[in-house]
Amino acid sequence: MTPAYPLAVEPGIKPPEVLLVDDDEVNLLLTAIALRERGFAITESSGGEQALKQLADWAPDIIVLDAMMPGLDGFDTCQRLRRMPGYENVPVLMLTGLDDDASITRAYQVGATDFFVKSTQWSLLAGRLHYLLRASRTRIELERSKAKLARAQDLARMGSFDWRRHSASGLGLLQLSPEGLRVLGFLPAERVSLRNILRRVTAEERPAIKSWLRACMHHSTPLKKDVRLKMLDGSECVIHMEAEPEFNEHGHAIGYTGIVQDVTARREYEQHIQQLANFDALTGLPNRHNLVARMERAIQHARRLGHSCAFLLIDLDRFKIVNDTLGHAAGDELLMEVARRLRACVRHSDQVAETALEAVGARTHRTLEAVGRLGGDEFIALLPEIADDDDAQRVAARILEVMRDPVLVGGQECFVTASVGIAVYPRDGHTVADLLRNSDVAMYSVKATGKDASAIYSPQLAGQGRAKLELESALHKAIERDELVLHYQPIVDVRSARMSGAEALMRWQRGSTLVPPGDFIPLAEESGLIVPLSEWALREAARQARIWRDNFGFDDTISVNLPSRMFERSNLGEHIHQSAQAYGIPHRTIKLEITETGLMKDLQQVIPSLEKLKSLTVEISIDDFGTGYSSLAYLTTLPISELKIDRSFVQNLGITTESAGVVTAIIAVARSLGLRVIGEGVETLRQMEVLHRLGCSLMQGFLFSRAVPPDELQRWLQQTVLPRKAPWIGQADELRDGETAPRRLRRR
Amino acid sequence: MTASTAQDLQPAAAELDQASLQRLRELDPDGKNHVVERVLQAFDTSLQRLLPQGEQAFAASDRDALRHVVHTLKSSSASVGALELSRLCGDIENCLREYGIEGLGAPWAALRHEAGRVAGAVQSLLGREKAGCA
Repeated sequence: MTPAYPLAVEPGIKPPEVLLVDDDEVNLLLTAIALRERGFAITESSGGEQALKQLADWAPDIIVLDAMMPGLDGFDTCQRLRRMPGYENVPVLMLTGLDDDASITRAYQVGATDFFVKSTQWSLLAGRLHYLLRASRTRIELERSKAKLARAQDLARMGSFDWRRHSASGLGLLQLSPEGLRVLGFLPAERVSLRNILRRVTAEERPAIKSWLRACMHHSTPLKKDVRLKMLDGSECVIHMEAEPEFNEHGHAIGYTGIVQDVTARREYEQHIQQLANFDALTGLPNRHNLVARMERAIQHARRLGHSCAFLLIDLDRFKIVNDTLGHAAGDELLMEVARRLRACVRHSDQVAETALEAVGARTHRTLEAVGRLGGDEFIALLPEIADDDDAQRVAARILEVMRDPVLVGGQECFVTASVGIAVYPRDGHTVADLLRNSDVAMYSVKATGKDASAIYSPQLAGQGRAKLELESALHKAIERDELVLHYQPIVDVRSARMSGAEALMRWQRGSTLVPPGDFIPLAEESGLIVPLSEWALREAARQARIWRDNFGFDDTISVNLPSRMFERSNLGEHIHQSAQAYGIPHRTIKLEITETGLMKDLQQVIPSLEKLKSLTVEISIDDFGTGYSSLAYLTTLPISELKIDRSFVQNLGITTESAGVVTAIIAVARSLGLRVIGEGVETLRQMEVLHRLGCSLMQGFLFSRAVPPDELQRWLQQTVLPRKAPWIGQADELRDGETAPRRLRRR
Repeated sequence: MTASTAQDLQPAAAELDQASLQRLRELDPDGKNHVVERVLQAFDTSLQRLLPQGEQAFAASDRDALRHVVHTLKSSSASVGALELSRLCGDIENCLREYGIEGLGAPWAALRHEAGRVAGAVQSLLGREKAGCA
C-alpha cells in the first residue's frame, strides 16, 4: 500500500501520481492527456463520490479537483478528503473559472492547497503541480524533522515555550509546545498560563521564584533556573528552565523564548554523587570531608552566637583485634552496628540546612549535630551547641554505655568498648585542625589509662601526648641504636639447688636511664613495634645462649616473652629456626612464654602456631597462670609444657589459706597433665618452703636473683650457686633431705 | 488533410476555431493516440447529454442545474474551438450568477441554435477524422 505521506516524488525516477477529478469528459480527457505528456501518472475520476472511493485504498501524490461538479462538488470533496486519515496534508489543487473569486476563497476555506484557473496552457498547470509537489516534499521533510525534534525533546524530557508580554495581563501570554506541556505535567493542548505553572511551584519556593521572575522580566535578563514543581500525582519534579529575552525591531523586550526540561533524574544522580562525596559508604554516616565542613560551620556559628561547641572523638578499643581475628567482613559488620548505636546518641541529621549564616538566631546550626566516621574505627560526634562541659560528658557517657553491650558479628559476641576524647570550642582550640588534634590527645589519654572512658582535653594531656609521641619515635630507633638489652632472671630448681634456665626480660637503655618494660611494652604493643622488638629478643636470646654455652656449658633454656600476636604470625617458627641456626644452638634452647590471658583470647589463631613450634621442639610456657580463665579442656589438648604460677598467689603463700589452695590446685592440674610448674615471684624462704612442700620445686624470684645483665648472671652462678653460698641453698638442702616422694625428673 | 481543405469541403466546420483545434493536435502530433477524434467524440457525447439537461432545467427554472450545464459546456466548447458557443455559455453563466433565470429566453435560444451548428460541425469533422485516420 502506498504510504499516506509519499516519502519522495523524484521526477524521472517515479512519475508523480495525480488523481484528476472532473465531471466534464472533455476537460478530463484533455487535461489527462496533457499531463501524461508531461510525465505525470494520471488517474481519472469523473466526480467527487468516485474520487473519495478511489482514495479509500490508494493515495496519490497530489489531487486535482474541478471546483464545479454536480453532486459532490470540488469543495465538498476537498473538505471530506481532508478529514480522511492520511489526507490531512496531501496537496490539493482546485480548478476554478477565471472570473470566479468566490470559488477561490472557498477553495482555501475547505483546505485546498492552491487553486488554478482552468486554461488550455497545460505547461502552466504542469508547472504548478511540480511546485506543489516540491512544497509538499519540503513540508513532509519539515514534518519529519519536527517529529524527530519532538522525539529528541521527548527523550530529553524537554519542551519549548514562548512567552509574550501582554499589556492587558501582567502575566503575559504563554505558549507551550506539546512536549513542554508534557514536561510540566499538563494535558496535550491544555491552555496553560504562567499563573498555572506558578501554582505548581512548591509553596516554600514560590515567593522566591516569583520575585526572581519579576526581576528577570523587569531587566530582560536571560532566565536560567531549576524549579521544583508539584505534579498532579503528588510527586515532585525538578524542572530546568532556560530562556532568552526577545526584542522587537525597536529594541523593546517583547517576551522570552526558551526551553523547559525535566531534570529530576539528573538531580537524583547529582544527589547520589553528593551522597558518595559526603557520606561514608559503609556506615552511611557523614564522612571526614562532610564532618570537617560541618565542624567549620559549627565553629562559625558558635563564634557568631557566642556559645561553645564540642567535638567528641570516639575510637574503638578492640577493633583491631576483631578485624585481625574475625576478618574484615566482621570488622565491617561491627562498624555498621557501632555507627547505628552512635547515631542514636545524638540528634543526628543527615541533611544540613542550606541556610547561610545570616539566619542568626534561627538556630539552624542545630542541624549540624551529627555522628560521622573519620576513618577506620574513629568516629566523631559533633555537638554544635553546649552549655558546659557536662553536656559533652553526658553524651560521651551515653556513647560509652551503648558501646558496652556485646555486638554479634560473624556469629560471635564481641565486646567492644570505646575511648572518647572531648575538645570544646573555643577553650580547646579555634580551628577544626586544633580541635581535632586536641580531641585526639584527650582520646589517647583515655587509651593510656585503661580505655572505656572519656576525657576532656587539657593542656597537661597534650604534654603527656607529646612525651608519648617522643617515646614512640625513640623506641623506633632503639632497635637500630642497640639500646635494647635483655636481662635474665634465673629459674632455679631448689631441690638440686641449681639453675635450670633463665627468663629473658627486655630493658631499654635510653641514655643513662634504664626504662622498665612497663613503660614501653604497652606502647610497643599499641604501635605494632612489638613485632620487631620480639624478633630482636629471640635473636638476642639465641646469641646469649651461645655465649653462655661457650663460657660455662649452658645447656638449659632461655624463656622469651612473646605477645599473642607473635604467635599469629606464620613465620615465627622460621624466625626461631634462623636465630638458633645463626648461633649454632638447638631449637629447644629457646622457650616461649605467652600469658594465659593472651593465649585464651586468641586461642583459635594461636593453636596452629603452637603445633608447628612443638614440631620444632620449641617449648611453650604459660605465664601468669591462674589469673585468666583457662578452660581445662583446652589445657589437655594444647601443645604446652609448662605452667608458671602467677606471683600474686606465691606472694600470699603462708599468709592466706586461699593462695595455698589455688597453688595446690594448679600443681595438681599440672601434674595430671604432665606439665612442669614454676612458681614466680618467690621473695622469701617461707614462700619457697611452702611452694616446695606443695610439690613445686622450680622457682624464680628476688629470693634467688633479680633480672640481671648476662655477665652478672654468669657471675652469680659462679660466685653464689656453685659455691652453694646463698641462704636458700641450705634451706633447699634441708627440704630435699626431708622429702620422701619420688623426685620428678627434669626434662632437658 | 489540412484545415483549409476541411473548410472547403464543409462550410459548417468553420464554426470551430482552427487555433483551438491546432492546440488539440499538438497534444498528439503524430495522431497515434487519436486525441482529436477522442476529444471530439467526448464533446459530442457531452453535448448530447448536456443540451437536454439544459432544456429541462430551463423549463423548470432550475437555476443551479442550468448553471452547471452552461459552466461545463463553456469550457469544453472552448476546448474544441466552438468559441461562439463558449461565449454564449459564459454570458448565461454570468447572468445566472448575478440575476437569475428570468429574461434568459433569448440567450438560451441563441445558445440552442449555436449548439446545433456546433454539433453539425463536430459530426462533420469527426467523419473526416475517422476517414483520415482509418
